[in-house]
Amino acid sequence: MSELTQELKAKIIVQLNLEDLTIADLDDHTPLFGDGLGLDSIDALELIVMLDKSYGIKLSDPKEGRKVFETIQTMADFIEANRT
Amino acid sequence: MRGEVYIVGDEVISPLGIGSESNFQRLLEGGTAIAPVTDSRLFDRTIHAARIDETQANDLVRETTRYTRLERLFILALQRLIDKHDIPLGKDTLVVLSTTKGNIGLLANPASTFPQQRANLNTMAEVIRRHFGFENPFIPISNACISGSLAMSVARRLLRYDSRYKRAIVVGGDELSKFIVSGFDAFQALADGPCRPFDRDRKGLNLGEAFAAVYLSKTPVRGAVKLMGAGSFNDANHISGPSRTGEGLYLSIREAMREAGDITPDFISAHGTATLYNDEMEAIAFQRCSLSAVPLHSLKGYFGHTLGASGLIETVMAIHSLKNNELIPSLGFAHQGTSHALNIITQPTKRPLNTFLKTASGFGGCNIATIIQKM
Amino acid sequence: MEKQNYAIRSYCSIRDRSIRVNGNNFFDADPSAPLGDFLKSAYRKLGVDYPKFHKMDGLCKAIFIAAELITRESGPYEQHMALLFANRSSSYLSDNRHANDVFMPGNPVASPSTFVYTLPNIAMGEISIRHQLQSENVFFIFDSYLPEFLVPYANATLDSQRFERSALCGWTEVTEETCDLLLYRIGASGHLTHSIAQLKRLYNKEDE
Repeated sequence: MSELTQELKAKIIVQLNLEDLTIADLDDHTPLFGDGLGLDSIDALELIVMLDKSYGIKLSDPKEGRKVFETIQTMADFIEANRT
Repeated sequence: MRGEVYIVGDEVISPLGIGSESNFQRLLEGGTAIAPVTDSRLFDRTIHAARIDETQANDLVRETTRYTRLERLFILALQRLIDKHDIPLGKDTLVVLSTTKGNIGLLANPASTFPQQRANLNTMAEVIRRHFGFENPFIPISNACISGSLAMSVARRLLRYDSRYKRAIVVGGDELSKFIVSGFDAFQALADGPCRPFDRDRKGLNLGEAFAAVYLSKTPVRGAVKLMGAGSFNDANHISGPSRTGEGLYLSIREAMREAGDITPDFISAHGTATLYNDEMEAIAFQRCSLSAVPLHSLKGYFGHTLGASGLIETVMAIHSLKNNELIPSLGFAHQGTSHALNIITQPTKRPLNTFLKTASGFGGCNIATIIQKM
Repeated sequence: MEKQNYAIRSYCSIRDRSIRVNGNNFFDADPSAPLGDFLKSAYRKLGVDYPKFHKMDGLCKAIFIAAELITRESGPYEQHMALLFANRSSSYLSDNRHANDVFMPGNPVASPSTFVYTLPNIAMGEISIRHQLQSENVFFIFDSYLPEFLVPYANATLDSQRFERSALCGWTEVTEETCDLLLYRIGASGHLTHSIAQLKRLYNKEDE
């Protein structure tokens, strides 16, 4: 687990109020939406805000968002490639 | 058999002007209130929105310094309605006030010149009540974007079931604020140009501000219209996204139509916010109710989404449509954009009109449908 | 007004740091405990698995807990049970949070999950989802609990219902550190009369 995925897991738990989960519970490759973690549309919007606020990346296309937020790993990869 | 409730008067204040008749005329001329608005007090970017130029209104309201901008506009709408119809202010007159956020612009705002307490909806309502001297405390309702139509149905129920009241004023309004604009922006709900309800290329809503009022009575007068039916059901699906099957709206329309005697409306004034999900949901609900062929518009292309005023201002314009036997086009529509086709009104059309269906949906999964008919 | 014959089937009060159902104690916390902690502990005591609870604001959490307790006490809710709530502060908890976010000097950032709760009727949406209630919702704003208005309005609502005659009504005033909530389920039958006098008695804790 990289430092960034660790950081993301911690941030997500706080930002999305995932009270009953710990970093250890979150797998790098679990689908965040749908059957995996079961996040919803408001969570997706919060993740977009987080990308902007914490990593300076502005996501304007919602379709792009779906691919970026597939798993913790895809998020980390995207951030590494695009952070400012 | 409960008594009937009639709408015997109405008034509207919007960026298109002061007065219901002049607003209706502007709609027929295709005039839109939506324009680019650049104001750092509202937002850090330019947004397309419909904003009232209150310098028009200021001269018409006495003692302006005591009231917030929002209160002044509420007062003006009420003043004009009361004066036009000589409405008594005693204990058999009910006032229901619809707003989503009231004086929220004051909250945490370093530039505010009023106490924070004024952001409380009851405090605001009481300020307005005192201005006129109404005997009964107002009944404020804050129920997301269905508040306007809901306030009307609440007033209707009270007039029918509570013999203390003979008449009711239902007034609704909301104003643009940083609070509201930034919230809808965080939801990625704002279109970056004029909104396009039901259109294939719609990308979101435009916010607007307006103040509208209706005067309800148990006694009909010439030219009044009748509130024939109302239905309101929650989707029980998601707090901010509408049901994919339009469940709550479907139940609401069915109940309103059943209460109204199952007459097919001559036109529909939909909620039509121009977000991807709302318009699709409405199309599904209309199709499930076999109403896909009924001429339909959304007025949000003219006024924007006026939140607590929307149910009321759009109902008032639809009433004028009925009285003038003229359908108002749905502004911003070019290509079918919902999975079920709708009969979108694209030109002002003169034809005999007797009944319309008004729908509204809001955050929290709430929905409401009302049916109004000429006497 | 015709004489109405509706009854209170079950009720729940959340006052400061004390939760009671039908007048019996369910949970108490130290009066100095922060509201958020109190509501979280009450949720844990409920033993319900509903992760979305943690996303809710204080107003929604308190209403969620009360609605859960009432249905446990009096059976499943009718699908079309009307929701008629009122309070003084609307959604103040979330309003204040969002307003401070957007007026923050330097780097104002609006949070969608805060903004979504800046409407008092969202709480009705939350319990509608939880209990699959497809019904009418009305959220009134009053200066204080007003059974003089809510009782006749609820009666009229039940009179006008074609389906089951039922509603969940009450006063749900939740601010930063205070909780003043009384929710009650009404219907055709129940132990207590649905009347202004009875509700004043319950609100003034004369049942304890």
